[in-house]
Amino acid sequence: MEAVVSENFGEPISAGAAPRTGDSGELVLRFDSGFDLGRIERLLQETRERGGRAPESVCTLNLIAVYFNEQQYEKARAALEMAGTIHPSRLIVMIGDAPVEQESLTVRASVVRSGGAITLERLVLSATGRAVRHLESAMTNLLRPDLPRVVVFGGRPHGDLMKRAVEMADRIVIDSGARPPGYLAETASLLAKGAPIGDLAWARIFPWQALAADTLDLPNLREHRGNIRKARVVCAGAVGAEGLLLLGWLQSRIKRLEIQIQAEGEPEPEDTGTATPRAAPMGLGQVKLLELTAPPATFTLRRDKGILYADVKGDDDGYCANRVRLPADTPGRLLALELNLLYGVDELYAQAAQAAARLLPQVPR
Amino acid sequence: MPYTSEHDEIPNPLRAGLRAESIPEPCAVVIFGATGDLAHRKLVPALYNLAVTGHLPAAFGIVGMAKSELAQHDFVRGMRESVGKFSRTKPIDAEIWADFANGMRYVSGSFDDPNAFARLRAALEELDKSRGTRGNRLFYFATPPSAFPTLLKQLKGAGLINPPNDSRFTRVVIEKPFGHDLASGRALNRLVLETCDERQVFRIDHYLGKETVQNLLVFRFANSIFEPIWNRRFVDHVQITACEDLGVEGRARYYEEAGILRDMIQNHVLQLLCLTSMEPPVAFDADAVREEKTKVLRAVEAFETPEQVARNVVLGQYTAGSIGGKDVPGYHEEKDVAPDSRTPTFVGLRLSVRSWRWDGVPFYLRSGKRMPKRATEIAVHFQPLPHSLFGEGATQPNELVIRVQPEEGIALRFSAKVPGERYRPRTVSMDFRYGSTFGAVAPEAYERLLLDAMRGDQTLFTRRDEVEAAWKIADSILKVTESPESPPPNPYRAGTWGPPEADQLLAQDGRAWRRL
Repeated sequence: MEAVVSENFGEPISAGAAPRTGDSGELVLRFDSGFDLGRIERLLQETRERGGRAPESVCTLNLIAVYFNEQQYEKARAALEMAGTIHPSRLIVMIGDAPVEQESLTVRASVVRSGGAITLERLVLSATGRAVRHLESAMTNLLRPDLPRVVVFGGRPHGDLMKRAVEMADRIVIDSGARPPGYLAETASLLAKGAPIGDLAWARIFPWQALAADTLDLPNLREHRGNIRKARVVCAGAVGAEGLLLLGWLQSRIKRLEIQIQAEGEPEPEDTGTATPRAAPMGLGQVKLLELTAPPATFTLRRDKGILYADVKGDDDGYCANRVRLPADTPGRLLALELNLLYGVDELYAQAAQAAARLLPQVPR
Repeated sequence: MPYTSEHDEIPNPLRAGLRAESIPEPCAVVIFGATGDLAHRKLVPALYNLAVTGHLPAAFGIVGMAKSELAQHDFVRGMRESVGKFSRTKPIDAEIWADFANGMRYVSGSFDDPNAFARLRAALEELDKSRGTRGNRLFYFATPPSAFPTLLKQLKGAGLINPPNDSRFTRVVIEKPFGHDLASGRALNRLVLETCDERQVFRIDHYLGKETVQNLLVFRFANSIFEPIWNRRFVDHVQITACEDLGVEGRARYYEEAGILRDMIQNHVLQLLCLTSMEPPVAFDADAVREEKTKVLRAVEAFETPEQVARNVVLGQYTAGSIGGKDVPGYHEEKDVAPDSRTPTFVGLRLSVRSWRWDGVPFYLRSGKRMPKRATEIAVHFQPLPHSLFGEGATQPNELVIRVQPEEGIALRFSAKVPGERYRPRTVSMDFRYGSTFGAVAPEAYERLLLDAMRGDQTLFTRRDEVEAAWKIADSILKVTESPESPPPNPYRAGTWGPPEADQLLAQDGRAWRRL
């Protein structure tokens, strides 16, 4: 297993998750050497039957999550649970903490019930030291047959494990926004080979894409559609993958587009203690402004707290053409969005990522 | 900047392939009949939920208009209570509500009074300034149909209807019933189209806003295995059921005028028939989908003689009975029902779709009030086996059941071998349930439809010729059943599946209604 990257770009695949500890419904097994799959299946059955006869288990996909230490998983746990319940799943979490010297193997099993059925079966396989070598083969045997396999990958987008994930998965979900933008080059090269990658950073810019497209659909602004010459993106604190993907998307859609990317200001502080979900704070490297120049008009899309504004300036003084509220950041929202696609390549994303990778040399250091 | 249609031809380079749903332009929704049940139970809770789910533009406002003298803050307070009670998302999010309520205005006045519409116009212009709604208006007629002509006249008189190609949109949403019969439906269409262009008219049928009804299109046209057998060669017959356990529930005055044929068949049930039997549209857009639905309605054989109606239509009216272990009154005992009322509360009918695909396949439709339970479904019954290897009567024909409500989903019934027994087949079910397969809560029908109307997408709204074609079918029955010579509807006990004559309708074809 490879070591995780954490360079101030947030934890991988956190997807708005809040840390959670303890679960009284969890059953645990420890093994000395190698997993016993029969015992794991029996453990899962025991969790299904807790509190009486097991209700029906609904399962539409195998969701496989890969992490490299317990803390990463804990951070992502609520998001995985929510997304895995919205898309009823068998969730297999692999936590491989290779740098720990002592070998250990643990399995935790639990289920989530909703609407009179079991909608999430969860197996958390943890290994430390050399025992991490058993994780993959155990996971393969615990998959539900004939269902799509989606891998949520919490490591770098390269290396042996990622390669094997590409080979076995119908779809792989990463979060480019959790890593320095240079890794987009790796992702782009995998996409060029047809790897079915989904990206939470891509899902994070959906509202920007929708607002840009909607603004050009406004009847009195349609005349500018064919005249967009320049795009400028400003990211919070540092240039991040979201900004590059947004520019990459624009460049793949509009011919001969001059582009510019820069960083300004600071990311917003983590939101804590709000009773109701709000839009996620603007994290490091995330987009705070997109400007499209279509002479004589300039379209400025900007984020102010939880609202995106589309300002238009042309021959006149300018006005706000549209504004939209960013969606509330409930745990697993972005992951659940990505799980709407279970097979194949998102062509728009693939083109945007490849264009974004070509922009990397222009990223200010 | 003036808008000219030539710019429509420049494609939006950013639109193709987007996975994000588009957000409507800034706009104000005007609800006529804003103190009524529909506004309180459905429309405002639906708009609030669209705000919660981030589907509304931030530049948005609501203007309620009704006769009642109400202070604005009372109107807003009343709406907050209703949203608290009827919204699917609870509890109310104080911050979202505060912004939502800030955009609410109330105008009291009679629909006959031009001054009231001058006040409405002023309220809208104030919203344009304070909320940035930019002159875009969606007028929702949540009123009895008798008010429609006055509303249209007053809107036009107050200069509130912009031309269809104006950069500021004007759209009109009209609730059913869209007319009382073919003649009045046509007259209303003429009146509406004297004021608006068809592109600005959104005739709402809330059944089309249901996820499971929309899923019919996906089920039929996103799967390759069903299309080859979706025709007269493989389908024996189709049953469409839309039943409820409720009675008239305080709507007797309306129901006395409407009856089951106008209330359910002319709109909801015929829409289900259209979606079940239409040809694949050439594209998934409003015109193509509505064109195919209209073709189905044109192909349905309208009844020409009283004898044809007698042979194919059974009407019923409920008497006192028991539902869910409780006594319920008969129709005649309901408040505001005439003691000698002949209004039907049940209908069972057999229709033929004269088309290449469906000729000879009967479509049995039934709808009723005070049935044992609420159930809406479409059941496609396939042909029996030409020869059974496992003994006469050992197998049942396959059935595909699309459950619209409740327990939304699809079930395919087929034969499987009973374990241990020597080749004994038994019917089993392969079941897809929406609620458990997709964990996300589906939006309410009105959320979908209001959002589409704000976006200008007419796919899920009925077109002029579609409404008239549906009236033609309903009219061919009504002109016979509402004539003085016609026999009264057959009585059935509340809590049963309609009068025995409805069973006879299928029995004479060697078939039976599905037991639900």
